[in-house]
Amino acid sequence: MNIYINGKNQKLDAKQTTLAMALSMFLNDNQTNSSFAVAINGEFIGKEYYDKTVLSTDDSIDVLFPIVGG
Amino acid sequence: MSLTIYGQPLKSRLLIGSALYPSPQIMKQAILASQSQVVTLSLKRQNPADKSGAKIWQYLQEVVEQCQGHLLPNTAGCKTAKEAVTLAKMSREIFKTDWIKLEVIGDDYNLQPDPIELLSATEQLINAGFKVLPYCTDDLVLCQRLYDLGCQVIMPWASPIGTGKGLMNPYNLETIRLRLPEATLILDAGIGKPSDACIAMEMGYDGVLLNSAVALADNPVMMAKAFSAALQAGEQGYVAGIMQQRQTAHPSTPTLDTPFWHQPGVS
Repeated sequence: MNIYINGKNQKLDAKQTTLAMALSMFLNDNQTNSSFAVAINGEFIGKEYYDKTVLSTDDSIDVLFPIVGG
Repeated sequence: MSLTIYGQPLKSRLLIGSALYPSPQIMKQAILASQSQVVTLSLKRQNPADKSGAKIWQYLQEVVEQCQGHLLPNTAGCKTAKEAVTLAKMSREIFKTDWIKLEVIGDDYNLQPDPIELLSATEQLINAGFKVLPYCTDDLVLCQRLYDLGCQVIMPWASPIGTGKGLMNPYNLETIRLRLPEATLILDAGIGKPSDACIAMEMGYDGVLLNSAVALADNPVMMAKAFSAALQAGEQGYVAGIMQQRQTAHPSTPTLDTPFWHQPGVS
């Protein structure tokens, strides 16, 4: 299955993958231990739904982290 | 005299950004020197190899803790209401605050807010329980509509973000103050020098939000102190009551009992 994480194309072998599984595969340790939030196809997904959210092919996942701002 | 944002009293009337400083250390020193208790920040994608993001976040948490302050996440970069609403929800989860500095940009050249998308996003976010601080143009009717939707705080621009041009349309800003006496008005964006902030406060604005003017100064820490003093001076000037301008000169020194050689006809 094909998905996009932060705009980058990623291949998943499993036929059915949850958001939690995809994040554990594609985030490094630093990122996993940081504060982050997720949207799929432009819709916010709360942390409590990571395990329950099943990905579809070509889903676009945005993982955002804190940064300075004005 | 303190500023209140959505029921939260704050010691300083300055809200300050965390971007563009020469280093994280200078950012921290400048924010603390400003005495601000509201610090803006944002969210973005992160390259897995880049570890600087986590460090910045740690710095910001330390700063906010030291100044007993509050984080104010923004929706910078959003161009539609949908994008802004999604980003606001992501921010709320991470930063554990329902405050959101709502930015929806309609033009890339001057980063001018899109009033239509801004109103739509404001309505959706208020319905979702957010306390919205909308960044908007100095359009009276737009500000009125935002207030009517339930924004207790409204943040018209002084001039486009990062220009440092100061107050482009003082008449518009004064009119907004006059017509929305109950709203908390924060002048946001375009502030270049401490006197700009002072003028806003003399108009009766409740506060000022800025970033570049401090971060891009030769000495950001000293400039942060200068802005802090300028806001206090402007606020005290407003509260003290500024004299009416007069068309003609009036002597300051009493003219009664002037010496005889000042009398007409005496040489």
